[in-house]
Amino acid sequence: MSEELLRVENLHADVEEKEILKGINLVVNKGETHVLMGPNGAGKSTLDNCIMGNPEYKVTEGKIFFKGEDITKQKADARARKGIFMSFQAPQEVPGVTMEDFLRVCKKNLTGENIRYFAFHKELAATMKALDMDDSYASRYLNVGFSGGEKKKAEIVQMLTLNPTFAMLDETDSGLDVDAVRVVSEGIRRFKTDENSLLIITHNTKILEDLKVDFVHVLYDGRIIKTGGPELVDYINTNGFAELIKEGE
Amino acid sequence: MAEERPEIQGVNQSIYDFRYETHASFETDAGLTPEIVEQISKEKNDPDWMREFRLKSLEIYQKTAVPNWGPPLDGLNMDQIITYVRPNTTMRGKWSEVPDDIKNTFERLGIPDAEQKSLAGVGAQYDSEVVYHNVKDEVARQGVVYTDMESALRGPYADLVKEKFMHLVPPTDHKFAALHGAVWSGGSFVYVPAGVHVDIPLQSYFRLNAAGAGQFEHTLIIVEPGAYLHFIEGCSAPKYNVANLHAGCVELYVGKGARLRYSTIENWSKNMYNLNTKRALVEDDGIMEWVSGSFGSHISYLYPMTILQGNDSHMDFTGITFAGKTQALDTGAKVVHNGRNTSSHISTKSISKDGGVCVYRSEVIIGKDAVGAKSSVNCDSLMLDSKSRSDTIPAMDVRNADSDVGHEAKIGRISDEAIFYLMSRGLSEEDARAMIVSGFAEPVAKELPLEYAVEMNNLIKLEMDGSTF
Amino acid sequence: MGEQNILKVNPLPTLTWNHLMLNFANMPLEAASSKKADIPSEFKDIETGMGREFVSFVESHASYVRIIRAGKGEDLGVIKDEKAGIASEIILIEAGEDSRVTFYTHASDSVQDGQITRLVKVIAGPRAQVTVIQSQTVGNGCLVGDDFGAVVGDEAKVRLIQSELGGKAAFAGGCAALKGYKADFTEETIYFGDESRRLDFSYVTRHTGKKTTTSILANGALFGNADKVYRGSMDFIHGCSKSKGREAENVLLFSPTARNRSIPLILCDEEDVDGQHAASIGKINKDLMYYLQSRGLTENQARQLAVESRFNPVIDEIPDEAVREEIHASLERRMNLD
Repeated sequence: MSEELLRVENLHADVEEKEILKGINLVVNKGETHVLMGPNGAGKSTLDNCIMGNPEYKVTEGKIFFKGEDITKQKADARARKGIFMSFQAPQEVPGVTMEDFLRVCKKNLTGENIRYFAFHKELAATMKALDMDDSYASRYLNVGFSGGEKKKAEIVQMLTLNPTFAMLDETDSGLDVDAVRVVSEGIRRFKTDENSLLIITHNTKILEDLKVDFVHVLYDGRIIKTGGPELVDYINTNGFAELIKEGE
Repeated sequence: MAEERPEIQGVNQSIYDFRYETHASFETDAGLTPEIVEQISKEKNDPDWMREFRLKSLEIYQKTAVPNWGPPLDGLNMDQIITYVRPNTTMRGKWSEVPDDIKNTFERLGIPDAEQKSLAGVGAQYDSEVVYHNVKDEVARQGVVYTDMESALRGPYADLVKEKFMHLVPPTDHKFAALHGAVWSGGSFVYVPAGVHVDIPLQSYFRLNAAGAGQFEHTLIIVEPGAYLHFIEGCSAPKYNVANLHAGCVELYVGKGARLRYSTIENWSKNMYNLNTKRALVEDDGIMEWVSGSFGSHISYLYPMTILQGNDSHMDFTGITFAGKTQALDTGAKVVHNGRNTSSHISTKSISKDGGVCVYRSEVIIGKDAVGAKSSVNCDSLMLDSKSRSDTIPAMDVRNADSDVGHEAKIGRISDEAIFYLMSRGLSEEDARAMIVSGFAEPVAKELPLEYAVEMNNLIKLEMDGSTF
Repeated sequence: MGEQNILKVNPLPTLTWNHLMLNFANMPLEAASSKKADIPSEFKDIETGMGREFVSFVESHASYVRIIRAGKGEDLGVIKDEKAGIASEIILIEAGEDSRVTFYTHASDSVQDGQITRLVKVIAGPRAQVTVIQSQTVGNGCLVGDDFGAVVGDEAKVRLIQSELGGKAAFAGGCAALKGYKADFTEETIYFGDESRRLDFSYVTRHTGKKTTTSILANGALFGNADKVYRGSMDFIHGCSKSKGREAENVLLFSPTARNRSIPLILCDEEDVDGQHAASIGKINKDLMYYLQSRGLTENQARQLAVESRFNPVIDEIPDEAVREEIHASLERRMNLD
């Protein structure tokens, strides 16, 4: 039996007093890659934000367990320290704090170890190089003036540097050109081991090509209406969501 | 980035909260009368013109009203201010000759240490008197003069001092300029000859130690054509529960093609009324750069002013103000464009917390003849809680069509989204806030010498409760 | 001729250096004998931009007082000021829940001298929408005072447009008390200075309700010996959380002898707000001039185009074709310096 990492039980959540999630059940085991698909407004990002603990998203019912522990009421930083990571669709700009300084502080904070300045600098430069990102970005203020594509790459750099056990990627591929999608996809593949898990929100199946996808969930109107294997990706690519939605209703 | 980052013990208030019992050799009566001013003048062995200048200033002082704008000055009762406290010593050129109690104060502040390491020269003022002045031999050999004002009044530059003293800031400027003219004491005189580039900064350190006292130091800096100087000013005082007053005056003359950078980290204790006046006159092609950090004092009125007199002259002002509990810091800048093709840039940040009040106040004047003048102002205010206050009061007066004046100001809080983003990377909420505030202050920090920048950051972290990063 | 009074008008909501002469303006007004106007109590304490002294002057000189009341849900459409151009008038508008009303007044260049003082006060109830337009192109002998004050209720929207294009001197002001939840105030000013016209403005928004929003925008052009002062102040008062304010002033300077003073204020004692202001003062963009001239426009035509392009969005709001044309003609005449 595989080891359970994340369990979402009957999750209901509101955003600005409107119910977006209407009872989500989801289990992600160690080593698995899950893909979340669905039309705009279905609640995909809301689910990510609820798992990460965004206070703007109010969980009204249900529970979230991580490594067996109920984290429903925990703050985002506590969840991050347990190994949860989320790549943001539109990451915040933080003027005055360089990406390198930021990541060093985060890494130290997550590992509790002192981070050696020079070793960290080298490691970060290597990670960025692998993502085809100019290492001058490390000394720039976090996300400030980054283009859409650079922001997405920077999120993946953060993921690779902080090395979480459970990472959620929210439309990491949108806004990237074909080459960049390949580079990012390669980065994700490098990150993925038997010890960690992924939950990927995407409209673009290119990013999934190098990855072994275990489960695909289709989210519609706050509920998972269909779960299947990787073949579901191809089905949706050809047929869209309409048929599945009809079936679900 | 700043080109030099000398190491200097910095600005953390906690290290200032020690004080030594000192035995003042002379104290005036608490109030201010012509007799007192005469007495000061006599004690200081003023030239005649200075004695007359003081008495005239006193007259102006008595006729001038306190400002009707700005933070309240009710807590300041001039009749109770001991205007003149002279430590029991005379000026020394060797650190070992400075009396022990005063030396201990400055050693705890790291002044002699910093001098050895990275400064071209150091002046230290204790209450009203300069107790120590020294300038490195190689700098002195270039003809650079760095001495206390009293010596300058009688030395080889006496005529120059007479010509420039309170010429930029006349006693009629405002009540506290008049007070300064009457009772000024101590301060520094710096002369950089034409073409001399002083590679490492000169520093002046002001320490106000006596309870209920005033400090009225006068700083006069003349940078001759083509010369360069970086002057650093640090101020501190221990805490007392009576009001102290700082009404210093800084006059800066930047010659043709010269450049002067004037950096200040002010961390007076929170009983201080800091009513300081600073002004620079810039000739053709000259550059004046201000870096100003205001963290301390109870009430501050501080608006360094630059007169861009020469054609193609330029001014840059970078400032940060952090007002916490019981503080009302009214700070900003003034610039007057008179020369053609002059340019100025003002960039300020303010942070209000725990009931602190920040006011950004400025004036930009483009004179009739300042054809081709350009000025831009940028100010950002950060509110850290709803007990605090932040006002932005920028005035612009443009009297010339061929000019370009821009102004932008923003006020707001740290967004919840930004905090969530940082928390999702594992930072606690407190650390996330502290990090955002440090980042906010970074444009100022990077203009400061490294040790000052580090200390400024420590100061911010100290003010941000619960931060650990 | 009546006795001359010097009034302190357009007070800055906080003081700054006196030497700038921005803390208030001195407005010379001729006092005439008239009885004190009868103002219903609900309108009495509404703060205006020009301040108390001006309001009490108008209240004791108004020859015309009109009260407009829009009942619940009523749409009164556009109400034109039939007495436009008389010496002194007071318009009081009370807009009930969900009502709509637009009031506009225009003093044309048929008024050559004397003085015109116009005061409009508005009480906007829940979800009411009120627009007030004060416009003038009076002759160079006339003194103008245009004042406005509003109390804005829950989700109500109040809009003020002031177009000050003529006169010996024009003083104008507006103040909105945003008391309701999501109360909104929009203010747009255009001004034109030439010869030795004096222009003096003061706008204040007082945010007390939650999620209130304001936008204050001024566009101006200064020629000749014009002397202009613009004060724009947003006051975020403790408790007005999630309120937002934007303020911008753009001034085009065309004359080496014109003078422009601007002081945009943000006063804030509430953390959870978002306030921004910007000012841009200077000569016309060289690239734009070059571009327009490369299309065959003379320098003068290019200048006119640049000014009109900034003024038109406001002029277009005036609900009277004839007045719009008069304004365009007046601007063209004044800018035709060739």
